Amino acid sequence: MALTALEIYKLLPKTNCKECGLPTCLAFAMQMAAGKAGIEKCPPASSEAKERLGAASAPPLPRVTVGTGDGAVVLGDEVVLFRHEKTFHHPTAIAASVSDTLGEEALVERLRRITALSFERVGQTISVDMAAVRCDSSDPARFARVAAAALSGAGKPLLLQGPASALAAAVKEVGASRPLLCPPPEELEDGAKLAASAGLPLVARARGLDALEAALAKARAAGAKEIVADPMPEDAGRAVADSICIRTLAIAHRAREVAYPTAFDLGGGFPNPFAAACLLVPKYASLVVLDTADPAELLPILTLRQNIFTDPQRPIQVEPGIYAIGKATPSSPVLITTNFSLTYFTVRSDIEASRTPAHLLIAECDGMSVLTAWAAGKFTAESVAKILLDGGIGGQVEHRTLILPGMVARLSGRIEELSRWRVLVGPQESSALPSYLRRLPPAAFLPANG
Amino acid sequence: MTVAFPKQAFPGRVLEVTLPAAEGGTPVIVGGQNALPLAPEGEKHNPVAVGMEVGTGSGEIPPSLAHALGGREKDPVSLARACEDEWGASFIFLSLSGCHPDNGSQTVAMGAKLARDVLAAVRCPVIVGGCGDEEIDAKLFPAVAEAAPRPVFLSYADEKNYRLVGGAALAYGHGVVSWSPIDINMAKQINLLLSDIGVPPERILIDPLTGGLGYGLEYTYSIVERIRLAGLSGDAMLARPVLCHLGDAWKAREAVDASEPSWGDPDVRGPRWEEATGWACLAAGADLLVCRHPGNAALLRGTSWR
Ligand code: B12
Ligand code: SF4
Repeated sequence: MALTALEIYKLLPKTNCKECGLPTCLAFAMQMAAGKAGIEKCPPASSEAKERLGAASAPPLPRVTVGTGDGAVVLGDEVVLFRHEKTFHHPTAIAASVSDTLGEEALVERLRRITALSFERVGQTISVDMAAVRCDSSDPARFARVAAAALSGAGKPLLLQGPASALAAAVKEVGASRPLLCPPPEELEDGAKLAASAGLPLVARARGLDALEAALAKARAAGAKEIVADPMPEDAGRAVADSICIRTLAIAHRAREVAYPTAFDLGGGFPNPFAAACLLVPKYASLVVLDTADPAELLPILTLRQNIFTDPQRPIQVEPGIYAIGKATPSSPVLITTNFSLTYFTVRSDIEASRTPAHLLIAECDGMSVLTAWAAGKFTAESVAKILLDGGIGGQVEHRTLILPGMVARLSGRIEELSRWRVLVGPQESSALPSYLRRLPPAAFLPANG
Repeated sequence: MTVAFPKQAFPGRVLEVTLPAAEGGTPVIVGGQNALPLAPEGEKHNPVAVGMEVGTGSGEIPPSLAHALGGREKDPVSLARACEDEWGASFIFLSLSGCHPDNGSQTVAMGAKLARDVLAAVRCPVIVGGCGDEEIDAKLFPAVAEAAPRPVFLSYADEKNYRLVGGAALAYGHGVVSWSPIDINMAKQINLLLSDIGVPPERILIDPLTGGLGYGLEYTYSIVERIRLAGLSGDAMLARPVLCHLGDAWKAREAVDASEPSWGDPDVRGPRWEEATGWACLAAGADLLVCRHPGNAALLRGTSWR
């Protein structure tokens, strides 16, 4: 449970020595209660205070890193239960499974399909993050070989699922890549010892929250440091309920015993894995494992994850300015839109589809869509005219004709008045731009006279 | 377990709302809960209700949807019957889209007749939506309110037309869907306005505007969560059932584009796009979902545990 300013104050030296940079101990206590300062800023604090307040100001959910380098996946380390309170930081990692019983060719094909699960959306790459290698063969040597093949073939951090003996064999092969070890519940202790000695992260699994709490304690006792919790639910309903319990306990109640990132294995006959994944992405899972590698299922799940994990205070946006599309020349059309990434990339790909080189002006609109920006007074005749007159486009083209989004047709008269550019009202949906641009007479973009 | 699940005792409770059915049909009862969705606590007597949309417009529909509807989309009455009898929709959202000048130009009288025909063809509750053209809807809602032989919900009342829609509902004993554009203050405001003119609270559903997956869903997600938290914390104007219309999911290029083979089979992808939108709305706290794909009515309904 988070401490109040007064409770913190009682533990401080109360000397107002100002070493922390604040005028009084009370002021410092208030900063700490607000999560804006840590006890390490108060050197005179007693060791008892340091211990108690250190725990209280530690992040509510520890961070576990799997993999190394650019592709490393961070699990946990969240601070709120609802994204509107701040934001969710670390997107639910999605792992696709690989069985160690696959034959040579099937394995290569499976890894190829997993790597192909990568998509461009609004300027970001969204993809499956990890490969989950399952030991179905009960052969440690084989498991280790497949793990090594998965690491080089998929190039993603690994989740290794198998008995402790198989994990030990695989760690020899791929330990340096920082895989996440996942022993079966009955071999948790051996798995945890292996994780401790190799300095690797571990999944503690046990069905139900009571058993899970005991398993987590056992893993800690065996020396495991970075731990992920898997409550092994039998269906989607149980999975979300467990996930909500664990995260609520961690964040709202600072219950250290269960404050861990969570993992859910939705493969191997788990009923309705798609629904479970869609519910677990917004409802707190740190990692989900799926057997499917069908892009028709993964594109929606990854898009949902992208939506939920955007910063609610700051839409994904692009730099305002002049963007040349294709080999734009002084007689190419000039179009305008807003700096909301979704809008920009949609319009851009539609202009590209038309194969007409063009200049695309991006107006600064705090990352709002065309109509939202118009309704919020950020995309106005005045702001558009200013871009036309002062934004530098006049020096790049010979003509003075602008294509305006169809949704804001009502701005056209006033823009013409203010800027003396001619305004053509484009289609409402940019998907109609290819046919619109192809139909435009070239005369529309002849040099302006005078 | 030494650390018991912390029961959140909320002071508020979502108002229970009944969407009436015809004789022999099953009414839809939603709301009544005093806890957040999916959490293992509180009282949640009523499962999420999943209805299906029946359109009346002449516009094209995506091929993956057309395959699934099997040609019935051209006949609203037979489509509505199939939704109820074959696909398990708990209610019908009849969208009188065909009255829009760009989508069929049916007259107001035709729209009202269609509403009457659909109401006669099914026993489940019906929500009747306008065509989206302000002037036409101003005539359409009163005409539907008068023509409907049994109580329906009119969708929707916003800041501009609430007097008209609320008035029509009051005069003929219907309910109202109150609409606002992803804005909690406006959602509250429109409910206040409706209560000012006397629409009883147990005849109001909130439609917060549902952005489809990849196209604004995150804004809807957070507004629904905030509406629910505000309602449970005691704000009576927001302690109302929330309806999420998943139709926007089908506007996404990713849901329908067949030209990108690396995105997988559009016949799978389209319905999954709508389904994912539905699960997110449910996780946020929606009480009613309106879908277009028959398979999704069954999938999204399978959540007795909510
Ligand atoms: C998500 C959303 C929001 C989000 C913001 C999202 C964002 N970053 O912009 C939030 C919740 C914050 C929001 C706020 C508001 N919103 Co809003 N919002 C939407 C919503 C649901 C989706 C917008 C979106 O993302 N569209 C997708 C992008 C890609 O569309 P787009 O930018 O328009 O681009 C398309 C076209 O314009 C065209 N195009 C774009 N550029 C170009 C360029 C050329 C040359 C051409 C030819 C075409 C073209 O092609 C694109 C693809 O089709 C719409 C409703 C809807 N379904 O459209 C309402 C909507 C835009 N919002 C609306 C309103 C009123 C508001 C608010 C004023 C209300 C309020 N809540 O207080 C505020 C204003 C913001 C403020 N004061 O801070 C209204 C606008 C009404 C109107 N007709 O003017 C809408 C239409 C909802 C409605 N039906 O009432 N909104
Ligand atoms: S450093 Fe510690 S003792 Fe000194 S004023 Fe700050 S809080 Fe008080």
